[in-house]
Amino acid sequence: MSKYDTFIGLEIHIQLLTETKIFCNCKSNFGDEPNSNVCPVCLGYPGVLPALNEEAVKLSYIVCRAMNCDLAKEGVFERKNYFYPDLTKNYQISQFEKPFGRNGYFEYESGDEIKKIRFHEIHLEEDAGKMIHEGDRSYCDYNRAGTCLLEIVTEPEFKEPQEAEDFLQAFRRAVRHLGVCDGNMDEGSMRCDANISLNLPGKGLGTKAEVKNVNSSRFVKKALQYERKRQEKILKSGGTVIQETRLWDEQRSVTESMRTKEQAHDYRYFPEPDLPPFRPDEAFLQIVEEAQIELPLARKQRFMEQYKLTEVQAEWVCEEKQSADFFEKVVSLGADAVTTAKWLMGNIAKELNARNIAKTDLGTDSCQLTEKRLAELFDLLSNNKIHAKIAVQTLQIIFDEDKNPTNIVKENGWEQSAEDEGELENIVKQILADNPKVVEQIKGGDQKPRGFIVGKVMAATKGTANPQSVQALITKLIEG
Amino acid sequence: MKKIKDYQSKDVQSYLSQVKDNDKDIGAFLEFNDSAEASDIEGTLSSVPFGVKDNIAVEGMHLTCGSKMLENFVSPYDATAVKKLKEAGAICLGKTNLDEFGMGSSTDNSALGVTNNPWDTSRVCGGSSGGSAAAVAAGMVPFALGTDTGGSIRQPASFCGVYGLKPTYGVVSRFGLVAYASSLEVCGILADSVDTTRTVFETIKGKDVNDQTSIDHIPASPEAKTIAVLSGDLGLSPEVEAAYKKAAEAYKEKGFSIIETTLPMLDYGIAAYYTIAMGEASANLARYNGVRYGHRSKDASNFEDLVQKSRDEGFGDEVKLRILLGTYVLRSGFQDQYYTRAQKIRTAVRNEFDSVFEKADLIMLPAFPTQAFVHGDSSLDQFQQKLADKFTVAANLAGVPSMSVPVSVENGLPVGMQLMGPVFSEERIFRAAEVLAEVLPPAACPGKMEVC
Repeated sequence: MSKYDTFIGLEIHIQLLTETKIFCNCKSNFGDEPNSNVCPVCLGYPGVLPALNEEAVKLSYIVCRAMNCDLAKEGVFERKNYFYPDLTKNYQISQFEKPFGRNGYFEYESGDEIKKIRFHEIHLEEDAGKMIHEGDRSYCDYNRAGTCLLEIVTEPEFKEPQEAEDFLQAFRRAVRHLGVCDGNMDEGSMRCDANISLNLPGKGLGTKAEVKNVNSSRFVKKALQYERKRQEKILKSGGTVIQETRLWDEQRSVTESMRTKEQAHDYRYFPEPDLPPFRPDEAFLQIVEEAQIELPLARKQRFMEQYKLTEVQAEWVCEEKQSADFFEKVVSLGADAVTTAKWLMGNIAKELNARNIAKTDLGTDSCQLTEKRLAELFDLLSNNKIHAKIAVQTLQIIFDEDKNPTNIVKENGWEQSAEDEGELENIVKQILADNPKVVEQIKGGDQKPRGFIVGKVMAATKGTANPQSVQALITKLIEG
Repeated sequence: MKKIKDYQSKDVQSYLSQVKDNDKDIGAFLEFNDSAEASDIEGTLSSVPFGVKDNIAVEGMHLTCGSKMLENFVSPYDATAVKKLKEAGAICLGKTNLDEFGMGSSTDNSALGVTNNPWDTSRVCGGSSGGSAAAVAAGMVPFALGTDTGGSIRQPASFCGVYGLKPTYGVVSRFGLVAYASSLEVCGILADSVDTTRTVFETIKGKDVNDQTSIDHIPASPEAKTIAVLSGDLGLSPEVEAAYKKAAEAYKEKGFSIIETTLPMLDYGIAAYYTIAMGEASANLARYNGVRYGHRSKDASNFEDLVQKSRDEGFGDEVKLRILLGTYVLRSGFQDQYYTRAQKIRTAVRNEFDSVFEKADLIMLPAFPTQAFVHGDSSLDQFQQKLADKFTVAANLAGVPSMSVPVSVENGLPVGMQLMGPVFSEERIFRAAEVLAEVLPPAACPGKMEVC
């Protein structure tokens, strides 16, 4: 146990899923030809003015509300002044004194506990462009300049690097469920800076270091673990930690000093005169309210309670909003919840994988397996019209041929003949008669050859026979 | 007196060559539109030539802002006001000179050319919209667009004997106006008559999706019966003092009641104005760093060096001074002392105007304490020129409309007075200006260009 308390705070940037940029009509796409989504406004040409994208404001308020923030009655944009080649106006339009959200909180699971992290604020700003360095040259791509960025600032209240990682994963899931961000940390649509300080118990916050350039939640943890050790070593030897910004070096797994407090910018914030303050009206707040959804943690807990899913099943189903919605729709169509969860995690996941269909495609046009088709399949199964093996084959054909399960079963003559016990009995009788040696073996107490007979029956019925019924008939006919 | 339709030209190129000839002694224009041609669009402004201050964007033309920084920059788009005029059939004849980025009141701060006052070429035309005022005074165009951050339309209008309207803040879109001090400035009109001013104003006003600070114009009552004038020693030159009295007498003659008032906040206005303007300018001019467009230093070794050298070489002294002061007042920890305090004064100025407008329909006050001064006049240094803006900056701080109206010619030079009203009272100002013109008709500048 360390003799120091650890204080960790995170600043998360998420790119909002708007079609256009925050202040102009350029597309906000990832991966397009460099400098193809640009115009005089986002390039900061002389004379242009920003025109605020209302969709970005809406998504921001949806996040603020979902994170239990006090919603701003007046949100004000400010200019944050600093020179950098990727910043076209050499000031960033951001928020400072009056952000859209303040005093929020978010619950997440860490280990076996539900923990709560408080948010200091959530504010909307424009993203900068991207620098690409090649040899001794640097290039600027301004496609990202002016895309909508939401910054979420937590209080410095994580105590362990592990908590930061757990939080980030849960938070990522939440924003994906809200449909406001795709959460791709490797593409930079979700980014995280972490600050950490250590101090003796009861002494409050220590002097913090900020760690930048961390592009996965696991690296956030690793960087914080490294940084905690580094600071602990300094403090133990009687030294003082200096306030600075440090960069995470992924290759070497260390943090390195980037700039100290003395070199820090004075951003000279002042209210953006080109944009009037945003004041939400009743209709706007109503839309924000209607966009609220059950967050993944609450939904998972409810699925365990209401549908008796195991934690693993509920976790899997609730990982994406689309999969959870799909699950509930199938159940609402009469399917058994646990069967649905099992199938989703098993057979269906396998098919999705094999076909490169994402879990988030469930319930969309990109996935041939609709809720209705799956419910129908379960219906055939539970009414003994088909047995499990046929059901799996039918599932594959649903994906391959985009057809309804009832039609597939009909076309292939797969209806289980279990209803017609007489016909099945005749087939079994015939096969037993054709294989007298095997019958003798079974009579002699050797159960192994039973499988041989079942196989023959299945072949003769093209697989429609219910294996359990066949077993019962063998017993009945041999042991009589 | 020429009417706007006298300018309608079917042979624009031949007219343009006359203008070019005429401009040799004046230097109003920085660039001419050599592809200008007559318009088929019907209407009052059809085929009427106009000038555009060179800090307002016209597609395909330079947008220099009178600065070496943007000497070679060509605008890829039209400012909203320009677009609306083009849609009405008017023809942009060229871009007019100005103090660099609008910073100055003589146009001598232009890095790209000298503009002389058409009344006396040894004198300045005022500024910063000096080229536009001179072009109108010399009869080259019936109107020109200008911008007014702290008097930049009204003061040159006074110096050149033309009308100069600074509209209510937000009523004319700022989209395409190269920002100097965003919360103070507006796009406005310099014109040879009230009627032309009105026609152009009606054409360019209105809310614009590209400028979210723009607003629709909801006209205030056009009637005016009472005009307030300032009492006490205003520090005016004898000529301006005389013109002020003449104008007041003219209104009395026309049955207006003239009341005397004071505006104590005017003395604080200058400090507040320059604090806000320079603060905003320091951010607005940060984009010129030699990276994407504009002047780029040839011998820079890294990014910081490139920015420093490009800005050092590209900007003139006055621009550098204002950026430095603006950066200073916005430093963290000093905002309460400067920027926030200036905003409080701004509110106080606005309140003071509101209380005067309860008693009077309009306020009449000088545009500038003196007439046009000679180029390089050492008796009025840059600092004193700033102090002399005290009569004009108040309207920018309060966001109210104000028009400089030619009143008289004293010792061969024109003097203008401002008519200032509450927000949206442009038509009230126009009517009052027309009444004044009945008693004191504006004099034409000697040598004014005749339209053929």
